[in-house]
Parts: sequence; C-alpha cells; structure tokens
Amino acid sequence: MRQFFILLRKELRSFFLSPLAYVIIALFTFLNGWLFSSIVTAMRMKVNQHSLVYNLFDSGWFWMGYFFLFPLLTMRLFAEEKKLGTLETLLTAPVRTAQVVLAKFVATTILYIVIMLPIFAFFFLFEDITGESAAFQKGAFYGAAAILLLVGIFNIAIGCFASSLTSNQLIAAMITFVVVVLHYFLGFIHYFGAKLPAELLAKVTYFSTVEHRHLFTEGLIDSRPVIYYLSSAVVMLFLTHHVLERRRWQS
Amino acid sequence: MISVRNLTKRYAGHTAVDDISFEVDRGEIVGFLGPNGAGKSTTMRILTCYLSATQGAASVGGFDTFKDSIEVRKRIGYMPENVPLYDDMRVKEYLHFRAQLKGLRGRSARRAAGEAMDTCSLQDVRRKMIGTLSKGYRQRVGLADALVNKPELLILDEPTNGLDPNQIRQVRELIKHLGERHTILISTHILSEVEMTATRVIIIDKGRIKASDTPQNLIRRLHSSGTVHMEVKAKPKQVIEKIETLSDIKNAIHIGTSQGWSTIDVHAFSNVDIREQLSSLAQEQNWPLRELYRDTASLEDAFVDITRS
Repeated sequence: MRQFFILLRKELRSFFLSPLAYVIIALFTFLNGWLFSSIVTAMRMKVNQHSLVYNLFDSGWFWMGYFFLFPLLTMRLFAEEKKLGTLETLLTAPVRTAQVVLAKFVATTILYIVIMLPIFAFFFLFEDITGESAAFQKGAFYGAAAILLLVGIFNIAIGCFASSLTSNQLIAAMITFVVVVLHYFLGFIHYFGAKLPAELLAKVTYFSTVEHRHLFTEGLIDSRPVIYYLSSAVVMLFLTHHVLERRRWQS
Repeated sequence: MISVRNLTKRYAGHTAVDDISFEVDRGEIVGFLGPNGAGKSTTMRILTCYLSATQGAASVGGFDTFKDSIEVRKRIGYMPENVPLYDDMRVKEYLHFRAQLKGLRGRSARRAAGEAMDTCSLQDVRRKMIGTLSKGYRQRVGLADALVNKPELLILDEPTNGLDPNQIRQVRELIKHLGERHTILISTHILSEVEMTATRVIIIDKGRIKASDTPQNLIRRLHSSGTVHMEVKAKPKQVIEKIETLSDIKNAIHIGTSQGWSTIDVHAFSNVDIREQLSSLAQEQNWPLRELYRDTASLEDAFVDITRS
C-alpha cells in the first residue's frame, strides 16, 4: 500500500508539474464554459421542459470533448515509460505491477476530476447569480457527478489498456479515441440506418452512455450502469496488468 | 549470491540465452563479457526479474527470481543499459523517490539519497532537472539509483557506455570502491576496465558461456604471449639464421629494416620466455640491440580468441 501512495504521488506530481495538465484544464474549462453559456441562452429563447443540468449533459457537444480528453490524458501513461525504458527500472524495483497500474489509473482519475470540477462551479454560480435552480432536484447534481465519474473511470481504464499495448503515444491515443467514439455512438446506432432486430438494438443501446446519462441527470442513480462501468473498468485494468506482466510469463 | 542453473531464454525463432549455468559468490566483482547480442542483457534482465526464463532457474540470495521476485528485487540494485531516467525530475527528488520505492522511509530515504549523491559526486547537480544533465552525470544518477538502498548485489549493464575517458576512469574507480561492500555483476565492452576491476570474468557468446575465470588466467591461456620483438643492427638474414639455431624457437620473421636496424618477430613454442637467450645471442654476435620486448596478451586478445573459436 505504501508503494502505491509513493507511485501515486509521483504520478500526480508529473501531471501537475507539466504544462499539459494546465493546458487541458484551461481548454476544457473554456469549452465547457462556452457550452454552458450557449445552453443558458438557448433555454431563454425557447421554453424547455428539462433542467439546465439535464440539457448541458444531454448536449452532444459536451461529449464531443470527451473523445479528445481521454486519449490526451492516458496516452503517455505506459507508452512513455516503455519508450524511455523507465518501465524497466520501475518494474525491477520491489513494487507490484498492480500497484503501478492502480497508481497511474487513480492519478489520472484525480486529474480528470479536477478538469470536471469547474462545470459544477458553473451551476453554483448560475444559481447564486440568478436565484433559479439549475436542477429540479438536488439528486440531479449527484447523478450528473456520478455518471461523469463512472464514464471517466471506464474511459481512463480503456486508455490505460491502450497505452500499455504500445510504446508509441500516438498509437495509444488513436486506440483510445476509436474505442471511446465507438462506445459513445452505440447509443446512436439506429440513426445510422443499422438494420438490427429490435431486440438486439435495445441490447446494444443499453450499453451506451447516452441511455445512462438521461437517467442519471434526472437524479435517478441506477445501480446497473454503476456495475457496468465499474466492472468494465476492472476488466480493462486487469488486462493492462496482464499486458505488462506478459514479459514474465513462463513458456 | 547468484546461482544460475541451465538458464534458457527463447524468443520466437531465436535463442538469446542457451542453457547457461554459473554462480557468483558474495563479495565478487564479476565481469560479464560478450559481443553485442550475446545474451548479456537478457541474462541480467532475468536476474532482475524483468523477464522470465524459458527454461532453467536463477536465484539471488537464495530467492528464486520467478517465485520470490519481490524478495529478489529488494536485494538488487540494477542499472539497465542506456540508463532510463525521468527527465522531468530533479536529481535529488528522483533519488528520494527511488529510495522510498525501494522501501526506505522518511528521514532514512532522504539520508540514503544524500549518501548516494555523495558516493557518485552528484551534489553539484542535485537540484538540476535530469533532462538537462550530460551523459556522464546521467550515468552517475543511474548508478546512484542502483545503490541508493545499499543492495547486496549490484547489476550494472554497460555502466560506462558512451562516456569519455575521464568519466570512464571515474566510474571505474567508483565501481572498485563499491566492490568493497557489494557483490557486483557488470557487463561492458571495455575490456581494460574489467581487467582492472573484476575478480572474475564470464565470457558469453551466442547465448552460451565460453569461459569463466580470473582475467589473469584467461590471458595466460593465450599462446601469443610467446612472441618477442627485437631490433638489432645486423643483416636480417644472418640474424634469423642464428636465432633459429636456438632451442624453443618456432620461427623468426623479418618485419622491416630502417637505417640499418632490423626489426624481427621471434615466435617461441608455448609460453617460454626467450628474451634472455636472445640478448645473450646479440651479445655473442656483437649486434647492437636497441629493443627487446615480449608481447603481453591482453584480456582483449583472450576475448577475441575465445569468441572467435
């Protein structure tokens, strides 16, 4: 456990002492702020039955940013260590591979949370300034926070896995990008003219983030998506661990 | 300290290490020599638990590198080839991080980092970013990392690779000094270095051990050390005729003549020293003699001889 915290501290340090983290935080705060103000403007123009929280997270533009965020956050995790050769010094020190994987995963999740925090600050600012409520129930905030965290954990785990597969950061980023995009568009599969039997279509869309975010941003925290995202993340981290351990497998 | 038994490592279509066995005792400095691609780094990576063996077993301090890898890793300090380091960390910070990772806590981790910096003369650059350091300093940071937790065994893969002669000398001195307290397994191309530091040399080629002995014994095995060069002021033909009448002489070859001085290489059978006979002969014949020396074989000759055969 001690080793885990030492590694976590090192990872966080290398995130927050590099310009990349600040560039990403600034960029996403700006883009989300812009989107936030556009949605407030749109809601003033036209009567809308949903809350501000629901409308913001229902916007395709918000999730568009996600396609780029996760490749950026995760591409260097293992690919850079492989390229520099530092993975060798790291894994010949008395640490377990699982500790290394978890430390990198948790550090990236913390950075992700820091990137997402300003959005919630926008809602509180909005409520403070206008006196209107941004959500119909308090639960919508918790639901929104939960779905953002769950989707984040899931996508970061995918990024970890992609980064462990290669020593080329660009390839790692591309793999993460493709998987994140495909997973997102599962929810829109019927728009693309996919002629799937209704039963299968329902099953496919059930795995999509689009479905889950509607429930969560209305304040309904459903345990099924929670289990789905968490267990998928565990599987991805398990695979990452195995990719890194592969060199030690005895034939 | 190290015990390797019938170790084999196969990659798809290629055997990097082929059934090697050797032991290294506590306190030894063992030089691991071999041409590029001989399997040195692979063996070192198996010993440091980074790779597994296809067959056979290796243990360090009695712990199996596959089954008790954490116990093995606690006991070794490893410096891989090309010294991979985090460029965005400062020297002091990096060594402190590595000391903590290797199990040292709080003040003792800080003290260990300080001592490693003292040993490797890194105090001047302790606040510098590793990415801005010269190759020589990077090498020393790698070495400081390997010894920060005072491991029983140091495994150093080409520690002087790419250094200038002054830096090589400094690192060599450092390794000699470290050898007083640690067991060291060191691989290098620079044979003079091993000749000076190692108590034993293991020569590996194409994945197999070709020789394992003290540097002195390896050199002694070479036959070329029976050659003597001489320069005399006399007709070469006459000199050769006279030399070939002596006992123990295989042959004498005229190399060249300049301003009346003939250079002649005299080959003796096996390791007989024929210098005394040659100087007596020159005296008898009244040949002015200005040079007479015996070829001393180096570890390099032994290395070439062993890896070629």
